Amino acid sequence: MALLEVEDLRVAFGNATAVDGVSFSVEEGRIVGLVGESGCGKSVTSLAVMGLLPKGRGGRRAKAPEPVQAAAAEPAPGAVKAAAAAPQAVPAGGGRRSRGGADVSGRAVFDGTDLLALTPAAMRRRRGKDLAMVFQDPLSSLNPVVPIGRQITEVLERHRGLKGAKANQEAASLLDRVGIPDPVRRLKEYPHQLSGGMRQRVLIAIAVACAPRLLIADEPTTALDVTIQAQILELLKDLVEDEGTALLMITHDLGVVAGMCDEVNVLYSGRVVESAPVRELFARPTHPYTVGLLGSIPKLDLPIHEPLTPIRGSIADVIRWKDGCAFAPRCDRVAEACVDGEPPLIGSAHAHRCVRAEEVA
Amino acid sequence: MLRYTVKRLLQLSVALLGLSLLLFAWFKALPGGPENQLLPENATAQQREALRAALGLDEPIWVQYADFLGRVVRLDFGSSLSSGRPVATELADRLPATIELSLAAMLIAVGVGIPLGYLAAKRRGSWLDFAAVSGSLLGTCIPIFFLAAMLKVVFAQELGWLPTTFRLSAGTEYTDVTGLRVLDGLITGEFDVAWDAVLHLVLPAIALSSIPLAVIVRITRASVLDVVGEDYVRTADAKGLKPSVIRGRHVMRNAMLPIATIIGLLLGSLFAGAVLTESVFSFGGIGSFVYQATTERDYPALMGFILVIAVFYVVINLLVDLSYGLLDPRVRVRK
Repeated sequence: MALLEVEDLRVAFGNATAVDGVSFSVEEGRIVGLVGESGCGKSVTSLAVMGLLPKGRGGRRAKAPEPVQAAAAEPAPGAVKAAAAAPQAVPAGGGRRSRGGADVSGRAVFDGTDLLALTPAAMRRRRGKDLAMVFQDPLSSLNPVVPIGRQITEVLERHRGLKGAKANQEAASLLDRVGIPDPVRRLKEYPHQLSGGMRQRVLIAIAVACAPRLLIADEPTTALDVTIQAQILELLKDLVEDEGTALLMITHDLGVVAGMCDEVNVLYSGRVVESAPVRELFARPTHPYTVGLLGSIPKLDLPIHEPLTPIRGSIADVIRWKDGCAFAPRCDRVAEACVDGEPPLIGSAHAHRCVRAEEVA
Repeated sequence: MLRYTVKRLLQLSVALLGLSLLLFAWFKALPGGPENQLLPENATAQQREALRAALGLDEPIWVQYADFLGRVVRLDFGSSLSSGRPVATELADRLPATIELSLAAMLIAVGVGIPLGYLAAKRRGSWLDFAAVSGSLLGTCIPIFFLAAMLKVVFAQELGWLPTTFRLSAGTEYTDVTGLRVLDGLITGEFDVAWDAVLHLVLPAIALSSIPLAVIVRITRASVLDVVGEDYVRTADAKGLKPSVIRGRHVMRNAMLPIATIIGLLLGSLFAGAVLTESVFSFGGIGSFVYQATTERDYPALMGFILVIAVFYVVINLLVDLSYGLLDPRVRVRK
């Protein structure tokens, strides 16, 4: 049994589906990547696992407008129009708390407990202790009016019962561990007095303060300089290897994946389209989306002024996996079979969601 | 922090100097001039000249300004035209009443406004939010004198729950320490006097608090809505902190920054509102004095009032700026 087992996770914000049945697992002590472009649902997935999404009215069970969509099979244009309009009417009556709230369904089993089924209070007791998160933008993720020392000790106080001088001492040693020089003096400083890299180190210190078993890092290096990026990644890698912590690495940077991860899950339009051990994925990308992602990386050995190879089009706002592959509109090798029903996930160790993978490869 | 304080103090003296210039100019621009008020209609030109010389009005304008400044610094605003007593004494007698009333109104506005604004933001879109927002709109729309009169009619005259006028019941013996009756009662241990003063304060303070309360509700609501969407609040949530800690240390400490500024500005403006409220409740503060001075064109009294209010405004804003320095470390360190 893996440490974290996410099964058929679905997240909808009112009418818009952000995550449409994501499943993956993270084994103890492994580094697992969640890769995809902006809007593919990777951050929402991590926030859902952490229980950090605002609660929607519909509770845990997201109501997909399936019956209405089935009616759209009728070719009459009037019927199609009605079907398109109907789903919007459903959540509008959802009630007062639905604004901005997320409807989450599926399971996220962490060490035998479904995190999504926990009460908010029970989840709060685990967050920051058993599982912790490092965020994208270190400046906005730290409270500007509270000294960083306090921002570290409050989590020590909450989950480890450390107070006063003891907590301060532990905070200083945490800062030291994440490579911040002169940690005792730094404790009294505010986030704006630190550099970007330092701030991210502080956020990492906060995340590892209670020795979590799972660390989720949501694009931890996106807001940093390239030179600092490497240091932060190295730090993260060292920390999880020392402690045997599992790390879920969320990124759009395949370079980061190649350098850090043991396994990779490629997300597209709210679903995993390919998942494989990292070497296997880079050696034999199977889904056309993965192939496109790898193809669009700039290569140093290409001649100057050689245009890059982007994936054409952009990610669609409305996710349609029911009617066929969501990537089909952007895919170069699309065929009849691609838009004939939902593509299944094929394979186990190296799984993909492309019905034509065999023919094309 | 010391550098910041000194810098703000210097800015403050410049503001006060500018203010004295403005007031002096206003005084000079008044039609007529004092000789017309002091001399009979048939006075000769010689008599006028003599008086102007006696008052120093034939001196160059900058000498007159220096003279004016010298008197202001010594708190010498001249004598009230209606009562004949020195304006400074009149103001000093009445100031504590207005301060007490303003503080009570601000206490209500802050004590009710901040929690209400917070709840409205947290339950955005609920009936409570709707009630708070529309109630605060109403609060800014109702004229103070009307609200004061209505409160008086309903709660004092019809229901008889609270006294109609004055600061204490007739014939109450009290010891004057600070001039703030509630505080005095508490200091001297005359708790019955303090309670009596509180009862007399309730209605005027509610009337006076209507506008600041409405403003604070709206600012708090907007500020909290801003802050709860910030990444650091999500970080605090990701730490698994208790909701009370997230609310206090992470949401409200940041949300307080704009609220503190507004409270300072409102405290100054309360004095203007006090003019009307005090008149309705015969509260005997600076407000009713100014009301009288305005209707009787008592210029020295008005001048003294404006100066005192202006100094209050400036000092309060200094305090707000200093508290800003305490609340927001970024202000302190930036050059």
